[in-house]
Amino acid sequence: MEQKRLSLFKLFLIFTKIGAILLGGGYVILPIMASEFVDKRELVSHDEVIDYFALAQSLPGIIAANMSMFIGYKLRGKWGAITAMLGVTFIPFWCIVLLASVIGSLTENSYVQGALWGVGASVIALIVLTAREMWQKSNRDAFFYVIFVLTLLTLLIFKLSPIQTILLFSIIGVIYKKITEGKK
Amino acid sequence: MIYLHLFWEFFKIGLFSFGGGYATIPFLYHISQVYSWYSLDELTQMVAVASITPGPVGINVATYAGLKSAGILGSALATLAEMLPSLVLVIIVSKLLRKFSDNFYVKSLIQTLKPISCGLLTSVAIGLLKPELNDIKALILIGALLILSWKSKRDPLFYILISAIIGVMLVFIRTLA
Repeated sequence: MEQKRLSLFKLFLIFTKIGAILLGGGYVILPIMASEFVDKRELVSHDEVIDYFALAQSLPGIIAANMSMFIGYKLRGKWGAITAMLGVTFIPFWCIVLLASVIGSLTENSYVQGALWGVGASVIALIVLTAREMWQKSNRDAFFYVIFVLTLLTLLIFKLSPIQTILLFSIIGVIYKKITEGKK
Repeated sequence: MIYLHLFWEFFKIGLFSFGGGYATIPFLYHISQVYSWYSLDELTQMVAVASITPGPVGINVATYAGLKSAGILGSALATLAEMLPSLVLVIIVSKLLRKFSDNFYVKSLIQTLKPISCGLLTSVAIGLLKPELNDIKALILIGALLILSWKSKRDPLFYILISAIIGVMLVFIRTLA
């Protein structure tokens, strides 16, 4: 993919916008990232976004912030990562600092509750959509299906945490690849 | 002195909490017990506020806890301290992946991460859908959004805003009735 160079200021603005619409939990970062960087700007490939999603969960810290930093680094190196970190937290930070006392009384308001109910539903729809898109755009061979099904079962039935699941299947996957392809 | 403690406590959260968001709450509870920066009641309030303001909940709670503990400087410090460990790790991991992109193990790892990522996201979708199964209105809204998106792809913000408006309207209609 051809790499267009983005100024740090522009990167900051994009992440500020992402931070401002990051509602209803961190996972919505994935559809937003895919929309901003893959669909609209074509700066990052769909495959890379998928990789960063797993990598962001393999590291400690907040998933949405980790993912922003990975994309920031990919686009502009370490200053990009720092810019992404500052951008994505800019609006949330001032929201809390300036409005915390006001918002405190709003959490019980029925209209706010209604809006949050709607946001929650839209986040689910967005995540289902992203899962579908991820599935469609992946190169699905037998290896893909096996790891996918095992990951899903481990998370849903054995209730392993995401980090444990990622570690477990990364090791299994790499060993499998080593055995089957390493010989060639 | 409080700034040093604040920095250290939130740095630890950033280093040891996996999964983000609500995973940081046990740490914040611990802080409320050890220091008298905020009470348990205030912590509950903080989580509620952090969940309805934009941004990742785990970071918002840090910002709020910092604010309660030591004002605006405290909130900036707590926020940055919580992200610092992952910033360093993201840079190191990115560098390594770039440097060894031709390495067999790195290539295999990347290939393996894709199905894992799909599995993770599918499990998130299932986990989020489960509690909604009792809420017919939410299911209808989700279904409508999915049908809409299959016809034309739009900005996530569009879906978020339109759903929030529908949520407010439903409350309004209920109060009229």
